[in-house]
Amino acid sequence: MSAPDPKSPLALPTRLPERPWYERLNLLNMTLLVFLLAVIFSGSQISGSDRDLNIFRNLGNFLQDFFPPDLSVLPQTGAALVETIKIAVLATFFAVLISMPVGLGAARTISPRWLVVITRMLMNLIRTIPSLIWAVIAVAAMGANAAAGVVALTFYSIGYLGKFFSEAFESVDLNVSRSLKGIGADSVQAFQFGIWPHAKPIIWSQSIWMLEYNIRSASIVGYVGAGGLGLQLHAYQEFHHWDRFATVLFCILLVVTLLDLLSERVRQRIARRLPSDFCHTD
Amino acid sequence: MEAASTEPVISARNLGFKRGDRWIFRHLDLELRAGSFLALVGPSGVGKSTLLSCLCGFRTPDEGEVHIRLPGQSSTSPRDLRRYFGIVFQDLQLTAKADLLTNVLCGRLARFTCLRTLFGFPHTQRLEAYRLLCELGVGQNPHKWASQMSGGEQQRVAIARTLFQQPHLYFADEPVSSLDSYYAGRVLGLLRQETAKPPKAVICVLHNAEHINRFADLALSLNPNDPAGHKIRQIRSINMGAGI
Repeated sequence: MSAPDPKSPLALPTRLPERPWYERLNLLNMTLLVFLLAVIFSGSQISGSDRDLNIFRNLGNFLQDFFPPDLSVLPQTGAALVETIKIAVLATFFAVLISMPVGLGAARTISPRWLVVITRMLMNLIRTIPSLIWAVIAVAAMGANAAAGVVALTFYSIGYLGKFFSEAFESVDLNVSRSLKGIGADSVQAFQFGIWPHAKPIIWSQSIWMLEYNIRSASIVGYVGAGGLGLQLHAYQEFHHWDRFATVLFCILLVVTLLDLLSERVRQRIARRLPSDFCHTD
Repeated sequence: MEAASTEPVISARNLGFKRGDRWIFRHLDLELRAGSFLALVGPSGVGKSTLLSCLCGFRTPDEGEVHIRLPGQSSTSPRDLRRYFGIVFQDLQLTAKADLLTNVLCGRLARFTCLRTLFGFPHTQRLEAYRLLCELGVGQNPHKWASQMSGGEQQRVAIARTLFQQPHLYFADEPVSSLDSYYAGRVLGLLRQETAKPPKAVICVLHNAEHINRFADLALSLNPNDPAGHKIRQIRSINMGAGI
């Protein structure tokens, strides 16, 4: 059968075919609809305190107390800032060390299924507990000090890094390590020369991201006594020293912004060599 | 050139492999002695790579069997002896994010324990690997990642890794497909040399008629229309290596 001549006006359709309504019920549209319904049902929660408050005036008064920041606390803030960074660095270091075997255990392409299930369940459990709750647990066990902060953030980070690392290991094409085994390499060598070189840049990029994240978290865990800037913030809040509180906040802002810029640049340079799935660019 | 030994290194009897209901090759008998260079030839898709992978134990044939006899080894199963084979894969299977030197050094992983290689290979090994890279014209950037090199350079690195391994037997699947005529000749010349010092067998998938006539002793051609219509052509009379 010969095809209709596209140049002939008779051969071209005069009506646009209608799209059946059920074709619009795809996953994207359905989830969007469910989310919008959830927003409508949740609207009843925003009823306020029923008191006739002037929100903007209250906010203005509160922020007025922040200025001018009391710079006399800068030396103590600087010391606490250093402690915060130390907590974050140590926590990231320990988390990276522990997450390597955890990530390997959770990698579906490498480990047996039972180990994958156990490690993934463990990591899910760790991730469901916020860093502040980990800090409460660590302070209860170890007392109020910076070491508790290190332990809390280490546990918290394992939940994330273990997952990221397992995905990094899963992304590696195992044919190379299999062929190395084929020519006589043992399992350790096949991992070292066939899997690790591919996973290393991804793992390092994610570790830098975690360090950056931990510095932000380490500023908060002190609120429950786990050392660092949070301890200072908590004290100034308790005694309503908002001008001092502001100084600490500005210091956190400065350090976090600088680290954000630095780590983003480093990660971007690493990311140029990575598949796009593994680039955290937040 | 050293003459081929009398004892066959590879013997395949009544070998057959089918994909679905279609036989790729059948009733294939082959005996290859050390010192022989066998070229597998035929049009694309005829089953040359499949035959090669059956011979080196990566695939199990649907009928027939392959025996490989290596000095000091009691087993004749290709699967058990694979670590003694030097295999140049069609897709190279290099560690893309490791440097060229490391990729070549990987050829000798079997000779060292994991503890010895955990912090790198001995200096003498590294120097030897570097020399091989230079010999194949990829010595300018030994510390660059393999993924940063061109296809032809990667192919030469894969060949360097296999040569560095110093295997008992070579299986090469289109080892010069991405190389210019100069390096293709050089690589095949090195493989040709391997048949002589001490005598080793080389089985190589090749397409170029000039390369086949210049380097191979025997050419086994598969027939796309007849699975049992394979033929062997003797190119050199010096190595009476194979029979079919």
